[in-house]
This record gives sequence, C-alpha cells and structure tokens, in this order.
Amino acid sequence: MKRTLTVCPYCGTGCTFYLVSDNGRLVGVEPSTTHPVSRGGLCIKGWNAFAFVHHPDRLTTPLIRRDGLLQAASWDDALNLVVEKLKGLQKNYGTDAVMFASSAKATNEENYLLMKLARAVFSTNNIDHCARLCHSSTVTGLAETFGSGAMTNSISCFDQTDLILVIGSNTTEQHPLIGSRILNAVRSGTQLIVADNRRIRLARQADLHLRHKNGSDVALLHGIMHVIIAEDLAEEKFISSRTENYAALTESVAEWTPERAATITGLEATEIIAAARLFASAERAMIVYSMGITQHSHGVDNVRCIASLAMLTGNVGRPGTGVNPLRGQNNVQGGCDMGALPDLYSGYQKVSDPQLREKFASSWGLKSLPATPGLPLTRAMNAATEGQLKAMFIMGENPVISDPDQRHAVATLQNLELLVVQDIFLTETAALADIVLPAACYAEKDGTFTSTERRIQRLQKAVEPPGEARADWEIICRIAERAGYPGMRYSTTSEIMEEIATLTPIYGGINHERLDPHGLQWPCPDIDHPGTPLLHVDGFTRGLGRFSPVDHRLSAEQTDEAYPFVLTTGRTYFHWHTGSMTRRTHLLNREEPHSFIELHPDDAATLGVRNRDELLVSSRRGRLKTQARVTEMVIPGVVFMPFHFAEGAANTLTNNVLDPESSIPEFKVCAVQVEKLP
Amino acid sequence: MKILTPNKVDSFFQLLTQKWDVRLPIVLTDGTRVISSLGDGSIALHGGAVSSKPTAAFFPQHSSVFISVNGLIQEQTTPGLPIFVLGFTDRDLECLRFIDRFFANGLRDDIYFTLRSNAVVAGISGYCGVNGALLQPSSGNCDLEFFWDGCRWLIIPYSGAGNEIVADLPDSAPPEAIEAFKKASTALPDENEKILRQASELLRADRVPDSFWSEIGDRCISCTGCNLACPTCTCFGVQDWRSSKTIERSRMWDSCQLDGFMREASGHNPLGTEALRTRRRIHHKLAADPEKWGDISCFLCGRCDKACPTGIGILAVAKELVARFA
Ligand code: SF4
Ligand code: SF4
Repeated sequence: MKRTLTVCPYCGTGCTFYLVSDNGRLVGVEPSTTHPVSRGGLCIKGWNAFAFVHHPDRLTTPLIRRDGLLQAASWDDALNLVVEKLKGLQKNYGTDAVMFASSAKATNEENYLLMKLARAVFSTNNIDHCARLCHSSTVTGLAETFGSGAMTNSISCFDQTDLILVIGSNTTEQHPLIGSRILNAVRSGTQLIVADNRRIRLARQADLHLRHKNGSDVALLHGIMHVIIAEDLAEEKFISSRTENYAALTESVAEWTPERAATITGLEATEIIAAARLFASAERAMIVYSMGITQHSHGVDNVRCIASLAMLTGNVGRPGTGVNPLRGQNNVQGGCDMGALPDLYSGYQKVSDPQLREKFASSWGLKSLPATPGLPLTRAMNAATEGQLKAMFIMGENPVISDPDQRHAVATLQNLELLVVQDIFLTETAALADIVLPAACYAEKDGTFTSTERRIQRLQKAVEPPGEARADWEIICRIAERAGYPGMRYSTTSEIMEEIATLTPIYGGINHERLDPHGLQWPCPDIDHPGTPLLHVDGFTRGLGRFSPVDHRLSAEQTDEAYPFVLTTGRTYFHWHTGSMTRRTHLLNREEPHSFIELHPDDAATLGVRNRDELLVSSRRGRLKTQARVTEMVIPGVVFMPFHFAEGAANTLTNNVLDPESSIPEFKVCAVQVEKLP
Repeated sequence: MKILTPNKVDSFFQLLTQKWDVRLPIVLTDGTRVISSLGDGSIALHGGAVSSKPTAAFFPQHSSVFISVNGLIQEQTTPGLPIFVLGFTDRDLECLRFIDRFFANGLRDDIYFTLRSNAVVAGISGYCGVNGALLQPSSGNCDLEFFWDGCRWLIIPYSGAGNEIVADLPDSAPPEAIEAFKKASTALPDENEKILRQASELLRADRVPDSFWSEIGDRCISCTGCNLACPTCTCFGVQDWRSSKTIERSRMWDSCQLDGFMREASGHNPLGTEALRTRRRIHHKLAADPEKWGDISCFLCGRCDKACPTGIGILAVAKELVARFA
C-alpha cells in the first residue's frame, strides 16, 4: 500500500488527495484532511479520479498513419517523423505554417516547455491552449481593467463575505468544493444573488434569482450600475482614490434605466432595482463568474462590466470581495501563467516587447525570438480551413468534441498536411491524426498545477505509465533534442520550475520544495515571499483600476422561425469536457450515460415531447439526435445541452463566431430547431 | 495485560512485518492521518479515529473480482501475508462487527472474507484521542486492544491470534494502569447517541415531513463522500473492462446518493431527487437497519460529518431533525 499526495486532475478548485496504490495499481483515493480548500472532502469526480487510469483503452505505443491506418511505431520513428515533417512544412510555407496547441490538463512545466518548443525550437508564436475557449475573455478584460487576468481573491474569502453574486457559473456542479462553500456561507447568513436563467442548485438557496435572457448580461449589469449610481449607492471614496475613467462609465450607463434593461433582459425592472440595492448594501461582496459570462461574442465586454460593478461598489482588494472568475480546468490558470498564449511569454510578459524578447532569447541561448504575436487557437482553426496553416501539434486537447461547429472543426483538421496528437487515449481528434504520441496521465508524472485561486501545487507520480507512454514533458524534450536544440535537457520537473522561476517574476519564488504541502499563491516574487492570497490590495496591478465602458451588442445569432430556440451549452456535474476520462469511469458514466437536451415543460407540451423521447436538434451548422430531459431548470424558449458526448455532440450545432478581442467562440448562444422523432 | 513502552513502538511493529501485512495509523506528508503500511509515513497512534475508514482494509474502494483471458477465468494470485490492522476505535469495531455480519449473511462475500478471514484486528483506546481525549475501550470484540494510559500502551489480547502477537512483550502492568483502564471502560453516557436514537424513533414513527428532506437534499452536491467515508456502507458497483483478449471485472464503492444507484432500465427512478435519496440514506441507517439487524447502523464514528462538504452528515441531520420535530 502506498499513498501519494497529488492534485485533482479535474476542475480548477485545486483539491488535493492521496492516490492509494497497491503493487503499482491504483485502488482508491483518500482526501487530504488538512488542505485549505478541500478540507477532507472531494466531489464525485475527485473521489473517482483513480478509476480511468488503468483503462485498457490507454495508448501504450506511438502510432503512425500508414496506408490510411494508425499503426504501432517506435518512438524513434515517430519523433523523427514529427520533427522532419514540421521542419519540412516550415521550410516550404514559412515558420508560421505550424501551430502548437498546449493543454490546461498538462502541468505548468509542460505548458512552459511546449511554449518554449514553439518559440525557441520552431521559431513561431503560434502557441495557444484551451483557455482560448473558456477564459480568454477574462484574461483580456481583467488585464485591461485591473492589470491582471486572474481571480482577485481566495477561496477562503467565501467564508468572510456578506454577499455573493454568482453570474454565469453553475458552481455546485462545476466547482463543487467552491459551490459547497457558497452553500455553507448562505447557511451562515451570507446573501446570495444568482443571475443565470438556469435554475441551478444555488438558485434554490438564493435571496434573488435573476433569470435574464441568454446574452443579455451587459444590459443587466448596466441596469444594475445605473441604479447604483442614480440612487447614490456608489463607493465614491474608492472610485476617486483607486480608479480612473469613471466619468465615461457614468455616461455609458446613464441611459440604462432599469426599465430599458428590463426590456432586453426579460426581467422586471423591480428585479434589477432590488439586485442593485442588495448588492450595493453589502459591506463585502464577491462576484463569481465563469463561462456564462465569457463564452459570448461580447465576452470581453461582459467581463469589463463585472470589473466596473466591483469597482463602483469598492469591492476589490479586501477579504470577502473581488472579481472571481472560476477557472475551469485544473491547470488552465497555469497554462496561461506559463505563456501557452500567442502573445505572451510566461508571467504575462509581452512577446511584442523587445526587451522581454531579448531576455527570453538570451536565457534560451538564441540570438532572437519571433516578434509578431501568433494565432489564437480558434483563429488558427480558421486559418487551417483557408489553407494558410499546414500543421498542428495538439497536446492533450480534443477539438473535434470541444470546438464550435464540429463539421468545420473536422474538415479543418482533415485539411491539414500534418496533425500530431499527444494524448492518453485515442480521442476523436487523435483518431484523425497522422502521428499519435502516447502520454502519461496525471497520476503517472510529477510537476505542478495552478488552481483558480492562483495556488501552485505539486502533482506527484503515484504509478508508472502504461507501456511506452511517457510524460508530456519528456516527449517535448525529446522532440527538441531531435530538432537539434540543446537547451531542453532536464532530469526532473523541478529543474524546469527553476528555469521558469528565473524568467517569470510572478513565479520568482517558486520551487518544488517550497510547495509542500499545500502550495503557494502567486505573485510570489522571491524565495522568502509567502505568496499572495489577495490581489490589488493597495493599488491595482496596473496602478489605477480602469472603468472600461462598453456598448451593448446582441448575440451573433438570433432565433427566427426556422430556428426558434436558443441553445446554450455547458457541462454536467459527472463528466469532464470531452469525456475521455470520465466516460471511462464507471460510476461517472453510469450517472450520465448519454447526450441529452433540457427543455422546459411548456415547450415540451407544445412539441408533444415527453421525458426521454428522442429528439432531432438542428442548427444552421448541423443536426443531431439526443434525448429529451423535460425540466424547469431552463426557461421557455431556451434549451441546454452538455458538450461531453461524441454521439449527440452539442458542438455539431454551435456557432463558430468569435469575440473580436479575445477570439472566444459564442458557445452560450445559438439558434436551433427541436423536433420530436417519430 | 501486556506493556509496550513508547520507545519500543517502532521496533515492535517492524518485527511484526515478518509475519503480517501490518497496517496502522500513520501521518502522511500533509498531516492527514490514515491507516496505511509502515513506511508510508510515520506511526501516529495518537490523535483519535483516523480519517479514512479502517474497514477499507477488507473492503477497499476498488478490488478485482476476476480476470478472464481468452475466455478462461484466471486463478487469483496466492494471497500475500495476512493483514494485521491496528486503529479501530470502539465505534469502528462496532462498524466492523456490523459489516462482518452483513457480508457473511446469505451469499457469503468471498472477496471480503479472503482478506478478512485470517486478519488480526487491533482496537485502539485510552487517552490517545484528539488532545489526549479519552477513547472508550472496546467491549472486547477484536483480537487485541491497545490502550494508552498516558505513559505507555497496555495491550489486552482477546483471541489466540492476539495472544500470539504480543507473546514476547513484558506482562507487568502496574496496578494504577489497570485501574485507569477499568475506569475508562465504564461507559459514559453520550449525548450524540441519545440524539441518534431520538432521530431513529422520529423516523420510524414517520414524524419527519418530506419538506425537511427537500431542504436537506437541496444542499447535497452528490459528492458521495458520506457513503465512501462510512465504515458500515457496503454497496458496490461492478464494472467490466474489455480488451481484445481479456475481461477484467472489478467492483468499487458505490453511493446511494447517486441517481444511477436506483435508476431503472427504463430511465425512471423511484429515488429521482436528492431529497428522496438523502431521506433514504438516513432512513436506511436509522430506521431500516434497526428493523433488519436490531442495530442502528451508524455508530457515530463521525466520518460522514467530516467528509460532507455541505454539513449534512448523519449526526448533523439527526440534530436538525430532533431540534425541529422532537
Ligand atoms: S471540486 Fe474540482 S478539484 Fe475538487 S475534487 Fe471536485 S473536480 Fe476535483
Ligand atoms: S457527503 Fe454530503 S454532499 Fe456529499 S453526497 Fe453525502 S450528503 Fe451529499
């Protein structure tokens, strides 16, 4: 029996647990009783995080496509081919003809290395990861308003607040151990406003549940800010001493009377007024948001409004307050921190800054690094469709299921001259690849993950990877070596972290030993620094907080006669993203075995649909079959689908329209038709 | 009665490993105390009940049922050393007694008894609870018991196997130590037990309205922690992993807080809401088990109350229920 302390591989809450192993096989999970976030508990995904690891579907050997079929190959052949083909395509079409997709499931060290591989070895800034699909709007919106695109406060702040506004986050299902804190806070008297038209569990406990129309967040937040200003509830002292551009905000919300906001949101004006008064009356108020805010063609605008609301009421820089974007993946915060982004090096250092370029180039032993920002992942997919991009190297992502407009995604990947996929299972995307590299999963390697509260924690190897599978970082280093680059030789992941610390001021004081047992929260600039639970305490990272007024824009696709329902997509509690791990976990897959669509009872009655009937759902992009779930969870006219299921894949329907600034797709609103199948 | 002085603790258990697969309370790197093997952390006999259930030694979260290769069931590999497990509090021993009876009933569960049959179970008691609090001595329903009198471990063997384990230890408990043990053994009335009984009576008299369960159920996030932490929960799910030649059947802890636990093939679920499932979980322990086995099957080990992220472990619910309906 052996117990290895490690970090949960699912959501960004960052619970830790012990993996229990016996003779090299995982046999269970035991929560850490001392961890400040999980405190002896876990959600069902954490409790079952051991269960997919030894699944017989695991990839155990590299695969190369020969005669149209993926066939087992040696590491030597596979890696030589990867390097030869990437270099060849770069020679013919330019260095920017290749794209590297990193992964929020991989460690900080691995994200750092893949970005180094792209920039130092393959001379391109075409590196990005799935944060593009979830919180790129946050990174852009909060960087502009606060100077730092991360959760401002800590999870412990939920125990110290007077009011929580949850907008666009189904917290008990998607960040369960944060959701449970909110439930507990409410039991001890904290007030709760839920702004989300799904009747999520938190809504049942809320003092106020605002079921505003999909895509109307800007109107709602404008209405709320209008009332706060009109009723003189704004925190003048905070505004004058800590912020700038307030006049522009007042001007932009001046016309947003609650009555006007009501017509767009579908709420009553009185609900908006009540929310404004309740929110402004709290001494300490926290705003919590997630994909319901970010995944819109105006996602960055939504984030700007949230930042404005927090500043307007002085709710930044103190315990129990703040703007708290809950980062979805276990290491999506880290993926961003490590510069797996087309315009930033690790620590949000701009590629366009010549001095920073020089700093990285000299540390990496190079004369220069590419200066122009690369392609965001979503735009890279479009570039591939148009033929400018020839190759993609995808580590641990599954765009066939996770990207908007599946038909477009598949056609794009098929259009590439080279697709390399490095993963733990033969995902729907790996199945299309020319070369597949078998990776170790979280339980089989060392490194660090950074949770949503900026807590950097250690992942520790519990068991060996199956067959010839190797840790992502080892594979990346071997590729660099074969490409003739000598600057990526490490014997352990802690050596990689040492390099990260020297180049990344916010991680300057991080090394693996310091992270025991429960991690450190960045910024942690030097070796004696205790970490930073609260951001923007005395001043914002950018100096003064900036009010960034926005114009209201409608979602890109509106309903019409042919497509009369609004489809909004998301996840369920029991599955993780494209399901490659959770659908291979017995209990989790038993809970949600197939694709479904939530439909309001009134709509079901109109369509003559009963619970569990088979439905045909179509949009302008495609159609699918799925099962009806008739529920008051949704409002009439709106349907909801989770995107986990390859059969009945919600992203067959979604709209590949992007926010102009963050390039995030509008997963949360598109128009569909729903029909009963005979 | 045998004596084990603190300076001999390590060597005593080290020696035991020659004949036994020794499991005992240890403290892991971040301070979590569990029952595990020597070498997995330092021995930590003090501090009260360990966080993970000690019955997991015989009913682990995941275990193999069989492996078939090319259609032939493989012989299970010969079992390793028999298990010696120390760390059962008085309450944990009651839990073990309960599931021993459960797994032996009707179709005897051979996977459980493969591990259980030759095992030696050691209780722990005395002034070794949290901050030196007293852990009630057991009623002797184990092979041997380790009692901390404040200075040393008194070991009381109850079975032949227990005797064998401590045969080489000195046999010279001073009278005041024996006195301390006797004193500790006189049961103290426990307020929580009273509450649990009252809750049980209320449930059996059908005095708890559905609205109460909706309220409680609304706070359940279906984490399953209450069931997985509970030493008397015995439900498991079964899975088959198939590859081209092999089928691996295994079983893992299941939870009645899950929708899929009772869902019918049609998709209909007689326990389709958290309210109904939470009611069922508490009802099972406090009302159904007493009818079937004559015992409330919660022995107040406290683990579900610690594991539940939203504060609806069995004692918390019992307290709420008694406060409102008694
Ligand atoms: S809340 Fe998130 S981090 Fe915690 S156990 Fe669940 S999935 Fe894992
Ligand atoms: S531990 Fe609590 S939240 Fe989790 S399943 Fe049990 S009752 Fe529900």
